[in-house]
Amino acid sequence: MQRANITVVVLLSILAIIQSAYSQGADNQETLRITLPNKKDSVHFAVIGDTGSGTDAQRQLAAILERSRSLFPFDFVLLLGDNLYGSEDAKDYTNKFEVPYKALLDANVKFYAALGNHDRPTQRYYKLFNMDGKEYYSFKRNNVRFFALNSNYMDKTQLKWLEDELANSGSDWKICFFHHPLYSSGKQHGSNEGLQKVLEPLFVKHSVTIVFAGHEHFYERIKPQKGVYHFISGAGGKLRPGDVRATKLTEKAYDQDLNFMLVEVVGEELHFQAISRTGMTIDAGVISRPSR
Amino acid sequence: MKQRPNKNILSTYKLALIGTASLLFSLSPSGPQTSPVFAQQASTTETQARSTHPPGVLADRDLSEFNERVKDYVKLRERLADKADKPSDESKPAEIEAYQIAFAEQIKVARAGARAGDIFTSQIAKQVRQIIKDEFKGESLKELRALAQEPNPNGVALRVNAVYPDRKEIVEMPPALLLKLPALPKSLRYQLLGRHMLLMDREARLIIDYLPNVLP
Repeated sequence: MQRANITVVVLLSILAIIQSAYSQGADNQETLRITLPNKKDSVHFAVIGDTGSGTDAQRQLAAILERSRSLFPFDFVLLLGDNLYGSEDAKDYTNKFEVPYKALLDANVKFYAALGNHDRPTQRYYKLFNMDGKEYYSFKRNNVRFFALNSNYMDKTQLKWLEDELANSGSDWKICFFHHPLYSSGKQHGSNEGLQKVLEPLFVKHSVTIVFAGHEHFYERIKPQKGVYHFISGAGGKLRPGDVRATKLTEKAYDQDLNFMLVEVVGEELHFQAISRTGMTIDAGVISRPSR
Repeated sequence: MKQRPNKNILSTYKLALIGTASLLFSLSPSGPQTSPVFAQQASTTETQARSTHPPGVLADRDLSEFNERVKDYVKLRERLADKADKPSDESKPAEIEAYQIAFAEQIKVARAGARAGDIFTSQIAKQVRQIIKDEFKGESLKELRALAQEPNPNGVALRVNAVYPDRKEIVEMPPALLLKLPALPKSLRYQLLGRHMLLMDREARLIIDYLPNVLP
């Protein structure tokens, strides 16, 4: 009897160890779980910024991004700038973009790029960035219109273009994405008051609900500013650990590992989930479209 | 007690003097000339006109000259771009890179004798410095200086036709400054670097002119 009890205990222990190993993964990965509704006809996309390092870490995050797609099929990805760091020869496009995201590119996932301060304007000619030869542009998916801006050079011409596009957009949701965040709790860069002054009035006037930006190498969800929700997702290939500390702006911040976002727009709601390189969910939530 | 001349009499004397002078000059055999008094008045008027322009706001004539020089450059680059196999929005990276190198070379050859000040006029230079001085003070000036240092100016040759190095980032131009500077065509941009302002061809990544020491 005693021997049987010991056997049972040993077997149960083994089972517990196996279950633990399975849930953690071979290299300490979390089990990837999607918190989004994952409805069939909604708009599904991913958001990732400051990717172009060409490092192993970038490739590992890209692998998690690809895995997440098997659970949450997204059609396109917003790139928030600094798409290529350093040189931009043909081999750099290969090593810093085409190789890390090969599986997604092979599955015909489209990448829509914005330009960062490390990017040459000639990236707009690169087919796989889908910029249509322009430094700033817009495109639509169902009831969502996206506006890619060049925050490196926010001149009168671009501002006029943006105002006209926003005014003429009949879409329910207006989402802007660009490189430099208007609001940030980062020590390295912080909030950009210059861009706030020229862009925020347009966002408020024309009911832009969501803004995605990079530049800071961490994740931060900012408390709504004048009705606009700002996200920083700038740790797609580079990380600055310890750079963010919560301020009165912060709803949620994370700077311990690379990460990306998954987003789903379902009717009047936008659901989001931020996921780290180990598959851990670092933030999730839902935003209802404000009626203005 | 000495009496002061009546103010009305003095004004009358002045008017008489002006009237006489104008009569004399209109009768001058060498043709109409601007009398010293008129010249002085004209000069005063011009000075008044200039001084009513708020500092940092460009006079039309100065702006027009700068715009003409910019236009001339753009015409040149368009002629060269036609020859350089401009990429389409479906180009491969190798094609984009080849275009950029070839285009930059063509511009450098075409502008082999170009020097600083060929596009930035002296008036524009003066106004840019004034604009920066007016717009950026205290903390904002400190931030502007820090921003301009971000790419680390060392390793960037401050000369016309120098290529802006690949590995150097291009810092964002503060919108407050951009909105005050003369608008540029899409092919060109202003760029801060250290204490200087560059005028750059975006695609060729070439310095086509520069203003040294614009940041105080």
